[in-house]
Amino acid sequence: MAKDESAIKVVLVLVIIAAFSAMLLAYVNQVTRGPIEENKRLEVIRAIEIVLKGLPVYTVPDEAKLMEIDNSPIKYYPATAEDGTVVGNAIIAMAPNGFTGEFPVMIGLDNTGKIIDTYVLEHKETPGLGDKMTHEKFKGQYRGKDITGTNWKVKKDGGDFDAITAATITSRAFTDGVLRALEANKALMEENQ
Amino acid sequence: MKLLDKTKKAFFSENPVTALLLGLCPTLAVTSSAENGIGMGLSTTFVLIGSNVVISLLKNIIPSKVRIPAFIVVIATFVTIVDMGLQATMYDLHKTLGLFIPLIVVNCIILGRAEAFASKNSVMDSFWDGLLMGLSFTFTLFILGAIREVLGSGAILGYKFIADTTPTILLFVLAPGAFITLGFMLVGMNKISKALQGGK
Repeated sequence: MAKDESAIKVVLVLVIIAAFSAMLLAYVNQVTRGPIEENKRLEVIRAIEIVLKGLPVYTVPDEAKLMEIDNSPIKYYPATAEDGTVVGNAIIAMAPNGFTGEFPVMIGLDNTGKIIDTYVLEHKETPGLGDKMTHEKFKGQYRGKDITGTNWKVKKDGGDFDAITAATITSRAFTDGVLRALEANKALMEENQ
Repeated sequence: MKLLDKTKKAFFSENPVTALLLGLCPTLAVTSSAENGIGMGLSTTFVLIGSNVVISLLKNIIPSKVRIPAFIVVIATFVTIVDMGLQATMYDLHKTLGLFIPLIVVNCIILGRAEAFASKNSVMDSFWDGLLMGLSFTFTLFILGAIREVLGSGAILGYKFIADTTPTILLFVLAPGAFITLGFMLVGMNKISKALQGGK
């Protein structure tokens, strides 16, 4: 360690180190930005295939369409058959108030408004607890349900869904997110009529 | 033989977690499964090697008055590189570890090695120190994560070996399980390092 340094040298060295770090990070950011965006796009495509499984031949637009429900942004990918009729919809809604903030959930619906499957795009819920929302035992409950005829709450709150053991908050957030997507779908279906 | 001695030291008598009790935040937080432990350990290893080498290169330039801020800038740079690199190459792993990666910046092991070792030793030595310390951290996290995963989820590295309906000891996945397992590990690891020293 150099001793007896002047204040100017101290400041200068720190500034140089910080500037060099900034340049390096700018470079790494430039290199990785493309692959990161590509990964996110592939993740969405993979998710659409999962949540719309079982539908006959369909195409989805490359870019998501946007709308809002309860001041929360909704992205959706309408699936259309060859003749242009809507056969289903993949909707991304934000699940509010999870254990570590909100997280995006994708829900696939057929043209009668029934859930085909659900997929959590990214989350920071507790590993080993909250992340069980991606497991079959939990998300299987949501399959085939639609907005009417189901009480969209966890059993603890008087609803129809079994919460994950020790992760009620996550289960609640997931259910609210799915409900938001269903409301979005309802609005879209009314628009189409 | 020198390297073997150093390895022994890094893994047992100077193990950052079980002997020095450093870096307990990531140790306790991410080890709910063996895979998370390995991922966190390897990310930390990369940061540790990078920061050790750079700091050892800069040791004659950095004024001692601002060495800590300078170290933190270097460490934070490497952590951000790991974060972006993981997101670009291993998106799925980043999905599980993402939350903890920024925390590597404040991991005492890295600042501790920078202050105690890299700022006083040659580049080559610092590189080896970073590698060994990092691997020993990874090893410890893996063991801890494996024990908790086996007891808490009935699985190892994600492969379940018991039926879904068999109840598991949920406590071990939760925070208290981390403390309990770490406690027993401390006993075991200290016994081993004592035995190793006695055998010399």
